[in-house]
Amino acid sequence: MARLNDDAQWIILMGFLVSFSFFFLAIIINQSTVVGQTTAESVIEFPKNDIRDTRQVIGETVNIPYPDNITVQKDITVLSMNRKSSVVDYSNFTAGNATYIKIHYNNGVTEYNENWSYL
Amino acid sequence: MVNTDGQLYTIEGFAAGLIMLMTAYLVVNATSVYTAGDTHISDMQLEALGSDALTMMGTNVSLLTTSPLESTLEYVIDNPSSVPNATFKAVFLNLTNHRTGKPIDYNKIDSTMDYIHFNASYTCRDLTNNNITSYPISYSRNLTGGEHTVRATKWVIVNKGSVTAPFCGSTTKQYRAVLVEVLLWRD
Repeated sequence: MARLNDDAQWIILMGFLVSFSFFFLAIIINQSTVVGQTTAESVIEFPKNDIRDTRQVIGETVNIPYPDNITVQKDITVLSMNRKSSVVDYSNFTAGNATYIKIHYNNGVTEYNENWSYL
Repeated sequence: MVNTDGQLYTIEGFAAGLIMLMTAYLVVNATSVYTAGDTHISDMQLEALGSDALTMMGTNVSLLTTSPLESTLEYVIDNPSSVPNATFKAVFLNLTNHRTGKPIDYNKIDSTMDYIHFNASYTCRDLTNNNITSYPISYSRNLTGGEHTVRATKWVIVNKGSVTAPFCGSTTKQYRAVLVEVLLWRD
C-alpha cells in the first residue's frame, strides 16, 4: 500500500481552485458568443423600417388631390399585402380646419396603430 | 517485482490529466463556437444599411426637387431599356460601400475586393387588371441563387404620365405609390 503524506494539500487545493476558476471563466466566455443572437433576432423581427416608411408615405399622401389619393391608398394596401404580407390600412380626412390620420399596420407579428390630427 | 506502491499516485495523475484536458478543451472551444447568432447579427446590419441607403436616396433636398430615387425611377419608367440603371447603381453602391482606404473598382469584373452587391426592382399595381408586377431598376451582379440576401424596401410616390411606356397600366399623368425593393448580399 502506498504511504500517503499530507504535506502538499494546500498546493493541491490551490490547483483545484485554479482549474475550477478556469472552468467557470470558460462557461462565461462560452455564453458571450450568443449574446447578440436574441438582440439581432428581435431587431430583425421587429419591422421598424417598415413602420417608419409606411408612416412617411402615408404622411406624403395628405398632399395628393382627390381622385389620385384613392388610387394611392389602394396601391399601398395592395402592395403591402402582396410584397410584405402586412395589412396596412389608413384614412385621412379633413373636417373643418383639422386633418385626421388613422394608420393601422399588422404584419402578423407586430401590430401598430396610430391616430393623430393636426390643424 | 510487481508491487502496488504507486497506485494512488497513478490515479491522482490520471485525474489531474483529465481535469487539465477538459479545461483546455473548454477554453479553446469556447472562443471558436459559431452560433446562429453570428449570421443574424450580420443580416441585421446589412438590412439596416440597405434601409438607410434607400432612405437617403429617397429624401429630397427641397420640396421643389424630386429625390434621387424618384427621379431615377421616373427615368427607368420612361426608358425600360436603360436597365441596369447606371445612376442608381453608382449612388447605391457608393452609399453602401463607403469605406476608408483605396476606392473600390466596381466595374472590374474579376476584382478581388469584396463589396456589397444589390439587385433593385420596383413593384406597382396595374390599374386596368389589378395585377402586381415587378420591374427591374438596376443590379451590380446577376443573382445566381446561392447568395444569402436580405431585403430593404422603400415606398415612393411618383407623379407621372408616361410618354413612351404605360406606367402601371396607365398613360395619363397621375400620382401612384410604388414599392422599391432592394436585395443586398455580401460577396
